[in-house]
Amino acid sequence: MTLWQRIIRWLDERIGLTELVDTHLKGYRVPSEAGVFYTLGMVAVVAYAIQAVTGFVLLIYYIPHADYAFHGLQEIMRKAPFGWLFRMMHVVGSNMMVAVLFLHLFSVFFTGSYKKPRELTWLTGGLMLLFALLFCLSGYLLPWSQLSYWATTIVTAMPTAFPYLGEYVTRLLRGTEHVSGVTLNRFFALHVAILPPFLVSLMGLHVFLIRRTGISPSPFRRSEGQAGGYPLYPHFLLKGLFMVMVYLAVMFFIISFMPTLFLPAEANVPADPYKTPAHIKPGWYFLAPYQMLKLIPNKFLGIFIELLLLGVFLLWPFLDTKEERNIMRRPLLLGVFLLTLTLWILLTLWGKYS
Amino acid sequence: MRYILLLAAIHILSSPALADFREVFEREFLLKPWAGAEVEESVCVECHTSEIMKPEYRHVAEEWKLSWHYQNRVSCHDCHGGDPEDAAMSMSPQRGFLGTPGYTAVPEFCGKCHVGILRNYLESGHGKALKAGKRGPNCVTCHGSHGISKASIEIINDRLCSRCHSYERAKSMKQALFLVEKKIENIEKDLEDLRASGVYTEDERKALFRTHAEFRALFHTIDVSLVKNRTDEFTKKLDVIQERIEETSSELAFRRNFSAFIMLLFAGMAVVVFLLSKTYMD
Ligand code: HEC
Ligand code: HEC
Ligand code: HEC
Ligand code: HEC
Ligand code: HEC
Repeated sequence: MTLWQRIIRWLDERIGLTELVDTHLKGYRVPSEAGVFYTLGMVAVVAYAIQAVTGFVLLIYYIPHADYAFHGLQEIMRKAPFGWLFRMMHVVGSNMMVAVLFLHLFSVFFTGSYKKPRELTWLTGGLMLLFALLFCLSGYLLPWSQLSYWATTIVTAMPTAFPYLGEYVTRLLRGTEHVSGVTLNRFFALHVAILPPFLVSLMGLHVFLIRRTGISPSPFRRSEGQAGGYPLYPHFLLKGLFMVMVYLAVMFFIISFMPTLFLPAEANVPADPYKTPAHIKPGWYFLAPYQMLKLIPNKFLGIFIELLLLGVFLLWPFLDTKEERNIMRRPLLLGVFLLTLTLWILLTLWGKYS
Repeated sequence: MRYILLLAAIHILSSPALADFREVFEREFLLKPWAGAEVEESVCVECHTSEIMKPEYRHVAEEWKLSWHYQNRVSCHDCHGGDPEDAAMSMSPQRGFLGTPGYTAVPEFCGKCHVGILRNYLESGHGKALKAGKRGPNCVTCHGSHGISKASIEIINDRLCSRCHSYERAKSMKQALFLVEKKIENIEKDLEDLRASGVYTEDERKALFRTHAEFRALFHTIDVSLVKNRTDEFTKKLDVIQERIEETSSELAFRRNFSAFIMLLFAGMAVVVFLLSKTYMD
């Protein structure tokens, strides 16, 4: 008996390793038609893990104080060993993570995977998307650059369109009337201590729900394929690993060749509350709601419509209770989906170039 | 669920009735400069661009808006004094209004802020000639007053400098300045490139600013041999800045290569994993 086998044996006696592997990895079947789009959830988990790890490294050097944050970050970029790499991974990764979440959302929607009995999976997923956006919002301020400062001013002003509560929410977020050092500390606390446990718990719940109900078979499959699907390990995990590698390759492509994609010139200027730069826009993922709010003349109506859309989005599986999972056989739903998608993209572009 | 939606819809339709909450929002969100408007203007500019202004003064504000001072937020009242907030009293001497400086008073007028230059200028042949009998050029002769742009040795030209004496003197000055000026120009360009590639260059920018301010102040002595004597000193200072820029550039190149290498690693691993998963599929 080799040493390796002995270790396995030892563990097996204590935690039932073989059984765990057999039931959860090899024995767990995935529908045979599950392609790369089914791995996006897995990629999202890895993306979040990358954010966590690079975030820990940044945390070692970062100083959450309005007087030091910006220059401290420049030290990370210039002096800390490979600080630039971790910072760039964190910045590029945050944007890519949101992109992956959006793609995941689309593919789940498109395959009707949110239908009974998977409503809660959708709900937890939707909440996680919101939490990811909160991560982005709070993280955006931390470099304390002109870009951070003014983009945060814009985004935190959005709730003021809401009556009674809106101003309170804005005030709660900012801590002071305008974005200030107090806001920085709040967002820092949110970013590193308050949000992570929520997101991780939701993630656990999400995965638990998926394991309970199993991965939903595709509504589009033509032939029966391999009966009972194929095992999670190694087939599906390898697919996931492949996508993770693609994700990382894209991330490093952006870091190498488009380093200013997410860090425009204003990201290089320390925050100055008295100087309003001309072309500040919120992050791309907030552009559509931002532009929509700008377009609707009655702000009040605007924010209500947005909240309503958010509610519809989160509770969608409870609203759409039709059995039919193949979206191709539901032209109306398909139409609405494509329309929403086009509108979103148009609003984003409009927001960017107006 | 549908009833909740219906309720929400009713709420939306009735919400415009509560629209006075919009005020804060519009102040914070729509009327802020980032929503399109520009920085607020002083009453001086407002009145001086309006219809009541005499035609020969109207160009003043327009010229100023194209100037380097405008970009650095030096406004009318910073030079002329006066109160930029109170239209009725804005040009009252009690509020510190200085009026238009006379020909010989201009150096002190500008020298409030450009202290070192004023000192050198007053000690120079030009300054002495001005004070002695209006024969020397003042700041406005060479720089203009409202449309002042960034300074360069292009100001030294045949048309301007041969008005009072032969161009020979001016020319030898220009030659003495040339080397260092060229270097400053190159460094400025390099810094701009670095900034465009996402590097924070403020430290270098400040060092450069200090050096060129000192060097250009030196010009105002119009003492050619002094400029020549100190050229080496300035070249050395600029070399230090240049070196730091080069270090940063090569660091940037290293970073690009390094992360491109990692990118290739992951791309390679993606291919390997793909092939591996193919063997399992079969
Ligand atoms: C209500 C309109 C108004 C405002 C406000 C105003 N000005 Fe004037 N200003 C004038 C007019 C009219 C003249 C031309 C007077 C004349 O006919 O000589 C003038 C002339 C001047 C002159 C040249 C004549 C002189 O007295 O030397 C200066 C310099 C000047 N203004 C500066 C300023 C500054 C600086 C401010 C702001 C602090 C200001 N003005 C605000 C109307 C205004
Ligand atoms: C950099 C300092 C500076 C600033 C800023 C400045 N001025 Fe002047 N201004 C001068 C000087 C010096 C003169 C006198 C020299 C001349 O005739 O050009 C002058 C002259 C004038 C005159 C008289 C022009 C004439 O032909 O007699 C007016 C009017 C005037 N300024 C208005 C303004 C207004 C309005 C502003 C703001 C838009 C302004 N100035 C900003 C320096 C300045
Ligand atoms: C209120 C203070 C103030 C006054 C008065 C003032 N300036 Fe300036 N000036 C500045 C500032 C600030 C800058 C921008 C910083 C810099 O580039 O040096 C500047 C820049 C300049 C520049 C360009 C410097 C460069 O970097 O190329 C010139 C030339 C200049 N001033 C000339 C003048 C003249 C001539 C006058 C008088 C008519 C004058 N200034 C009066 C504050 C002032
Ligand atoms: C308004 C007239 C006037 C203009 C314009 C003028 N100068 Fe002069 N310059 C003088 C006077 C006056 C003197 C000192 C008297 C003399 O030596 O002739 C002088 C002297 C000099 C000297 C010799 C100083 C010395 O101590 O030996 C130099 C160099 C010089 N000027 C350069 C320039 C340059 C460069 C320009 C153009 C940017 C210029 N001048 C434009 C009037 C002018
Ligand atoms: C004889 C013409 C002449 C006169 C008079 C003159 N300057 Fe200059 N000034 C120049 C030239 C030429 C340069 C550029 C020198 C260079 O590029 O090396 C310059 C540069 C400057 C700069 C730019 C400094 C920098 O760091 O970029 C300022 C500010 C300035 N002058 C202010 C003044 C003031 C204030 C006065 C009056 C006290 C004045 N100048 C008088 C010709 C003149």
